[in-house]
Amino acid sequence: MNNMPPRLPALRGSVPPEGVRSALGRPGGETYAWLKFAIQNTLRNRRRSLVTVSIAALGTAAILLAGGFALYTYQALAQAAARSNGHLILGKPDQFARDEDMPLQHGMDDVGTLRAQLLADPAVRQVLPKVEFSGLISNGDKSTVMMATGVDPDGEFAVKGPFLTMTEGKVLVSGSPDAEVMLGAGLARSLKATPGSSLTLLASTTDGAMNAMDVRVKGIFSTGVPDIDKRLVYTDIVTAQKLLVTQRVSSLGIFLDRMESTEPVQQRLAAQFPQLKVQTWMDQAFFYQSVRDLYNRIFGALGLIIGVIVVFVVTNAMAMAIIERTREIGTLRAMGTLPSQLMRTLALEGMVLGGVGALAGVALSLGISVMLYVVPVNMPPPPGRSVGYPLNIAIDPLMYITTLAAMVLLTMLASSWVARKTVHMPVVEALAHT
Amino acid sequence: MSTATTNHAVVSMHGVFKTYRLGQHVIPALQGVDLTVQRGELLALTGPSGSGKSTILNLCGLIDTPDSGDIALGGQSVGGLNENARTLLRRDALGFVFQSFNLVPVMTVAENVDYPLFLAGVPAAERRERVAAQLAAVGLQDHAQHRPDALSGGQRQRVAIARALIKRPRLVIADEPTASLDSYTADQVLDLMRERGHAEGAAFVIATHDSRLTRRCDRVVALLDGRIQSS
Repeated sequence: MNNMPPRLPALRGSVPPEGVRSALGRPGGETYAWLKFAIQNTLRNRRRSLVTVSIAALGTAAILLAGGFALYTYQALAQAAARSNGHLILGKPDQFARDEDMPLQHGMDDVGTLRAQLLADPAVRQVLPKVEFSGLISNGDKSTVMMATGVDPDGEFAVKGPFLTMTEGKVLVSGSPDAEVMLGAGLARSLKATPGSSLTLLASTTDGAMNAMDVRVKGIFSTGVPDIDKRLVYTDIVTAQKLLVTQRVSSLGIFLDRMESTEPVQQRLAAQFPQLKVQTWMDQAFFYQSVRDLYNRIFGALGLIIGVIVVFVVTNAMAMAIIERTREIGTLRAMGTLPSQLMRTLALEGMVLGGVGALAGVALSLGISVMLYVVPVNMPPPPGRSVGYPLNIAIDPLMYITTLAAMVLLTMLASSWVARKTVHMPVVEALAHT
Repeated sequence: MSTATTNHAVVSMHGVFKTYRLGQHVIPALQGVDLTVQRGELLALTGPSGSGKSTILNLCGLIDTPDSGDIALGGQSVGGLNENARTLLRRDALGFVFQSFNLVPVMTVAENVDYPLFLAGVPAAERRERVAAQLAAVGLQDHAQHRPDALSGGQRQRVAIARALIKRPRLVIADEPTASLDSYTADQVLDLMRERGHAEGAAFVIATHDSRLTRRCDRVVALLDGRIQSS
């Protein structure tokens, strides 16, 4: 062996030490070279790559648009729920757990002090008392059942914002000398009431006696849900308490600076007022939870199907590319390329196809989402509602990053999976492949 | 390994048997072949189809394994090596020239020639110098950035020879390297293999039917039915 040049590896053991050393732990730049090779390979059959990238782009965009639509719906419903009753609802435990034998049986007395304590919390923006009761409402000729809510008008309608639509008249104002009400559109139609009409409220007092009060219609509104509009009445809290002959309120709605403050403030208040119960808006948002459960299933299944289609398309494209290049893979193996190195470059090739497609899908989804804000498109009313809603798509960075990463990872894994057989094929067989 | 001859051997085969299965049939490809290739030697393997030429090339090139017998590269047996070790040994010590060139079509001429050095982990600056020198040696310095499909058959085979020799291998395996070329180009390619082989100190084992090529080799081994008929 003395005459052998030193370059020939010594053959001690099963693996030449020098070879192993040079095969492992290569300096930087190698990954770039393999990536470049992968990109060059994706450009061999440009039409096939274009189709693959297009399908990956459409799939990614479909997932992001469907996910963004679901997310926007969740956000809108959460906002509506929080603005309806407050981010947090404070009341006696029985108010939430048991039915009342008498109106306001589980109500709270002397809420003035409590309101002041709550408003001292920096995250609390507004505290609004609410008196909930039921009874009859009559125009003299016709009486019908009502579900009434006594509110602090100035605060209540300020926080409701776009979630209550006035169809006629005006909203209630605090401190009005007259007893006034706002009627749901369906109820107003049933009673042939318009702003200025006189009606009579009839309800059971907290002692169980019947009491009646004449009121004037100030305005007519729509919640967008016809069944609610047929029954709902808003009045100011003073009128409600006069009708029920009490100073109690049913609960306090606590409105916070932002949705994210809900849980921390709930924990603080629960510790501060152990004799009371603090519910979150989500505890009372049954519609929100139903929609979320339904959409999660629908869009989850949709996303899964689209993901599987994209992976199949990329896998198929890679399988064709690898079969076509079997002989070349044999050549590279003969020249000393390790199967792991070929697996890596083929996985990178899949990643390039999936990654470029996913990036194009992200751009497409972003473009459509932004366009929908610029050029609004209105959706028809959903079942059980009387008004449509704007089609908006939420742009959530986490969802975009997760989807992009999932696409890249899945296409890499799929490519590796289809490549494994060919790169481990005996070199002689691969070279003889036609 | 005790004789002077084997001390200079790049590759040696002793009592090598190899069979292939084709359905129910067992086809003997090599039947007790003993062969030694010396350093710098240009050895031609001749014989009719099925005589065992390609099998010897595959075994010397470490892309196949014998059923029995021993193969040594640089005096050391390769029988106990696993697939990864054989791959790394091919990378570091062997070069290949194929009948249909087998260049990577998406790589430029320079990238094709550079690939073995890249695999071996040679630093980029050194690779650039060696690739430029090798391309100049085979007369393709002006085609460095061309793709293989822009070259003629003879030029492609010169690229393949440059790729095989760039890492200064001890042994180059060449399977019908002139079969796809016209006679004039085939002569040029053979001259190039002789010249570059001697310059780089590499031995060549060439399977060929081309009598013009065999006449210019250092030694000709004739095979028939998996046995060496003459050497």
